[in-house]
Amino acid sequence: MAKQMKFSVYRYNPDVDKKPYMQDYDIALEDEDQMLLDALIRIKEYDDTLSLRKSCREGVCGSDSMNINGKNGLACITKLSDLDQPIVLRPMPGLPVIRDLVVDMTQFFENYNSVKPYLINDEPLPETERLQSPEDRAKLDGMYECILCGACTTSCPSFWWNPDKFVGPAGLMQANRFIMDSRDQATEERLENLEDPYRLYRCHNIMNCVEVCPKKLNPNAAIANIKDLKIERAKESTDSKPAKKIFGITVG
Amino acid sequence: MLIQLLTHKYPGMRLWLSQRLTALVMAIYIVSLVILLLVVQPFGNATWQENYAAWYEFSSAIWFRLATLLFFMCLFMHAWLGVSDVLKDYVFNKVLRAYLQMAVDIVLVVYLFWLVYILWNI
Repeated sequence: MAKQMKFSVYRYNPDVDKKPYMQDYDIALEDEDQMLLDALIRIKEYDDTLSLRKSCREGVCGSDSMNINGKNGLACITKLSDLDQPIVLRPMPGLPVIRDLVVDMTQFFENYNSVKPYLINDEPLPETERLQSPEDRAKLDGMYECILCGACTTSCPSFWWNPDKFVGPAGLMQANRFIMDSRDQATEERLENLEDPYRLYRCHNIMNCVEVCPKKLNPNAAIANIKDLKIERAKESTDSKPAKKIFGITVG
Repeated sequence: MLIQLLTHKYPGMRLWLSQRLTALVMAIYIVSLVILLLVVQPFGNATWQENYAAWYEFSSAIWFRLATLLFFMCLFMHAWLGVSDVLKDYVFNKVLRAYLQMAVDIVLVVYLFWLVYILWNI
């Protein structure tokens, strides 16, 4: 049984359009169209000029993240029945639009790369693998699941205002993921890498990232953990380092 | 020690931590002041002259003046950090940002002198 649903979709083709505009669709959906991505594919049957990214259609690849009724999310795991009509779809905010719902994620991945999101360990490779205790492994839970869809970072005003300086929640969570990894040896460098007033400290804990994460992760907690860790390490470093002088007074 | 986080080696952390430490000092001052006022009760006397005398005695103690001075110095630092955060977020022209920051600095220094004048003229 066909069901009509109303959509209002952001359209922009820089080769043709002077300005972006919203296009309305009133689409007949089939019974199997349960998720927003199903509806978008249905729209493409009527209007194949609509551009969007999609791949796994089950919330694993992070391709079809977009702004859905004002909130970032993945179209493939957003139920149509949960959405108010007309369903307003826009590209993720804060990144340049390539066309329609497709954004240029270069800045996002540059920021991600800047935290060196890979294991750094200079010891010779062991014969089998680098083992971890179950407890150490558990420290990565809630972070390794990130699919880098960009929903959190593009809903963060601090990223909107300083995209080239503030790493953003997704990148910072991956920084914390490798800081917390028992096999990684570059903790000190990683913490130092986040020690200018912008890269980490533009986060003002408004928690948009937590609100929108389609994988229900908590980048805010990861960011707080990095700050806590800096404090913990400063407390511990008393014994190993010589005393410092500020204005001639010995401290620390 | 924690204090090394307040040195230039930690340009981001020292701003972030100072804001929290000043907030802590302010919280301690406010809670202590409320408790002290409830204990000392320099109010509720029969005449306004008695109330005035009680308030005068309470607020002219040297520890009260010093604690209040510390509280406001923390408040000014806290405000400075907060405003410079806002400027870092929203003002991208470095010259304009420097001028705005200077205006805030001047206002806060004037406030500090004004505060000392008030506290030592009770």
